[in-house]
Amino acid sequence: MAEIVANGVRLHVQRLEPKGGAGPDSPVVVMVHGMVVDNISSFYFALGNCLAGAGCDVICYDLRGHGRSERTPTGYTMADSLADLSALLDALGVDRPVHIVGNSYGATLTLAFGLANPGRVASLTLVEPPFLIEGLGEEMARSLTQVLAAVTDDEVEFWLANSAGRAVTRIARSAQALLKETSVAEDMLATPPFSREALAALPMPVLAVYGANSEIIDQAEGLAELVPDCTLVVLEQTTHMVLREAADYLRDLLRWWLFQRDEPIPHHQVRGAGFDTPVWVREMIPPPDLNGEHRTASLSAAAGSPADA
Amino acid sequence: MTTDQPTAAASADQTASAERVLSEVAAILRDVIGEEYVVDMSIEMDTSFNEDLELESIEFVTFADRLRETYGEHVDFVGFLSEMDVDQVINMKVGEVVDFIVDSAHDAAPSAAR
Repeated sequence: MAEIVANGVRLHVQRLEPKGGAGPDSPVVVMVHGMVVDNISSFYFALGNCLAGAGCDVICYDLRGHGRSERTPTGYTMADSLADLSALLDALGVDRPVHIVGNSYGATLTLAFGLANPGRVASLTLVEPPFLIEGLGEEMARSLTQVLAAVTDDEVEFWLANSAGRAVTRIARSAQALLKETSVAEDMLATPPFSREALAALPMPVLAVYGANSEIIDQAEGLAELVPDCTLVVLEQTTHMVLREAADYLRDLLRWWLFQRDEPIPHHQVRGAGFDTPVWVREMIPPPDLNGEHRTASLSAAAGSPADA
Repeated sequence: MTTDQPTAAASADQTASAERVLSEVAAILRDVIGEEYVVDMSIEMDTSFNEDLELESIEFVTFADRLRETYGEHVDFVGFLSEMDVDQVINMKVGEVVDFIVDSAHDAAPSAAR
């Protein structure tokens, strides 16, 4: 069942189930990837198989124009994307409320789906959603302009044509085609602002995850303040690429969110933190005097010289 | 050791089935990649998805889907992939997938191996 026609568009879908198949009580989890330089594979590998193995009925799909789904010339507005997802759930015969997990713009889309279809949604997990009340469309258009500049740069083009690996080249070519041959950039610019009143009335629980080093971390508090039932998790030493950088923790977090929410939330352990990174680097305070006795002592220790009396 | 030692016949049987699975898996990979450079490429147990085949991660998704269609329910690819991250998957060698398929088929029909 790799291809489903929904809302008139051919969508690539991977439905992942636990061994022996999903049961009538298995949580249905839908995963919505990010825009332009992303596709089904990020969620498929980071969470899809893992949550299916844990007992979920998982639906991963390529958004219109991405991955293996049809690249239509138009139809990339927020409203189109929401209609695609509703039609996909209809086509798959999903009539129970679903848990949706979105990444980056896919998370913004996920939030909009919860606002538009509260009866179809059991919970929302938003990984690094761009979230602005005012100017969301401009923000999306701005980040797409950056992507477009990156994939059309002459030096990048030379690298792609000559020495970039096959996989990287294919991902870049796919992003170029989407940006140049479709209305995705204009459609993003037209993204409507969220309504404060609608957000304040959002009925389902929301799990929001941001990286502390993400360029959009300052948008996290606004989201957590407006959404009534919001659990905000900020991961230390993680950027916008949470899905890639903290996949192991997200697996624990989602298992907790879907199956054990009455227990304490899993703790995020940063690999190597406090072990080999000096405090002054982690805390970004001026380093100690490198010419002081501290350094002399460690140098003589390293040289193995006997301690002077 | 209290487990039965495999007989020579069973072990030869498994080698034969590994060879058969490798040729099936190689054919699926050539089809998924669908480019000229793999047509004449020798795909062996120690061929790497990343370094040798330069497989894109979404191609691995399609590859896993095709394996599921080919080998059916008793080969649990969800379980196989569920503890790996994308880098571990893409850095595997073809032989690791072949062995997993052979072992799953073996476990599904233990009497045939004795």
